[in-house]
Order: sequence, then structure tokens, then C-alpha cells
Amino acid sequence: MSVLSKTETDVQKVNRMEVVPVTRVSENADDFTLTVELPGVSEKEIDLTLERRTLTITAENTAQSFKDYTLTLAEIPEVRYRAAFELPERVDTAGIKAANRNGLLILTLPKREEVKPRRIAITAG
Amino acid sequence: MRAYLNTINNPWREFDELLNDFPFDFFNTEWRARTGKFPRVNVWESDKGLVLEAEVAGVDPEKLEVSVDANVLTLKGEKEQPNRSNSEFQRSFNLPFELDKENIKATTKNGVLTVSIPRRDGAAEKRKIAIEQL
Repeated sequence: MSVLSKTETDVQKVNRMEVVPVTRVSENADDFTLTVELPGVSEKEIDLTLERRTLTITAENTAQSFKDYTLTLAEIPEVRYRAAFELPERVDTAGIKAANRNGLLILTLPKREEVKPRRIAITAG
Repeated sequence: MRAYLNTINNPWREFDELLNDFPFDFFNTEWRARTGKFPRVNVWESDKGLVLEAEVAGVDPEKLEVSVDANVLTLKGEKEQPNRSNSEFQRSFNLPFELDKENIKATTKNGVLTVSIPRRDGAAEKRKIAIEQL
């Protein structure tokens, strides 16, 4: 996109403050779960990219506005959420799944087959 | 304007009052919100009533409770946290007018709760009181 064709909203988005979202990681037997809090962000505004082993999340929240009302207490700023994660070798990047629920982005990062715990059968000699 | 909204049930109240003397937002609401114990809000006001938005990402709408007692509005909820015990939060607002309890509407979308509360009819009207001379 050239500079000249940018609309006013594009420019406003560029000027947003960048914030690292609240994120939690948990490990399960078969996968890792990455939970990212993105309140006020609709599915379309979430941008997930994977470059080699770096997973980048960028998202912008949308502020609501109400006609004829004036804002008297403002605690929620319009921001750009941004977080990047270096995924370990154990993660199977092809099988990453993402879901969006209650303002949470939930990523399931499956482990590669060869690192999953397995039982070794013993054959009687 | 914001003073009345923060008076009840706010564990940060004395701290807030202290900080009001500073010319800048020293410990802002952002890091409080990060703990999950203090949902951030935007409050919109008009003659018709009030709209309150709260960030409640990760809170199951079933476990979210909005209640009104006289002119106090309370938000309560429980946040799911994987591998940790759920964290509960509660925040109350002392509103400057009486509420029409019957017509409160609350919706959630993308982790943001929006509560719209109309004023009670006639509550906004000012009344002049005659002073009798004895």
C-alpha cells in the first residue's frame, strides 16, 4: 500500500501504542496451549503469522462508541497487541490450531510424534 | 467526574486518592488489569443513562454477574486460568443517579461486557423546595 492511498483510519492504526497481551502457556501430554487475552478484538483483527519457528500475533482492539453519550471514565485505550514466540523444536508447526473464545485466542501447539512419551514393548526372549 | 465511580469496594481507593495529587497517571490501570483482579472499564454517560464497558477476556459469560442495589452497580466474575486456580474479581461503581432496574441490558462480545442502564424516570428532574418562613 502506498503512503498516498492510506486512509485516515490506517494512519490512526499506525499511531497506536503497542502492548504485549497477557499470555499463559501450559504444557499437556500431547501439546502446548498458548492462551492470549485479546479483549475487544474481533476474529478478523487478529493476525497470526509463522516465520520459520517464530509465531507472531498482532491484533487491534476496536473501541465502541455510543451516540449522544459522553465518555466520563476511560480506562481502556485503543492499542495494538503484539507478541512473538520462538517455538521449540518439539512443536509440530504444521499442526498448529487457533480458536477464539470469550476474548481469548487459544493456540494449540502439538508436539512432534518423536518427542511424545511412548511405551516400549518388551518381548520375551 | 471519575471520583464517584471508584468509591466503593475498590481496594486501590486510598492509593488512588493519594495519586490524584500527582499530575500524571503513575500506576495506571493497565498493570492492575493484568492481574485479572481489576477489569478495566469505559463509562459513557448521557441524560438517558449510562453505558459501561468492561474488559472480561477469559471470563465465561455464565460466571459473570452484574447486579444493582440502589445506585450501586457491581460486576463480579471468575476468570479461567489454565493450570492455576480461577481468579475471582469484583468491582463496584457508585452511580450518580437512580437506575431503572427493569431495563438494564448486558451483552458480551469478544471478551468485552457492555451494560446499558437507563435512568429511572423522573429521577433526573430537579425539584425546587419551597422554604417556609416562620
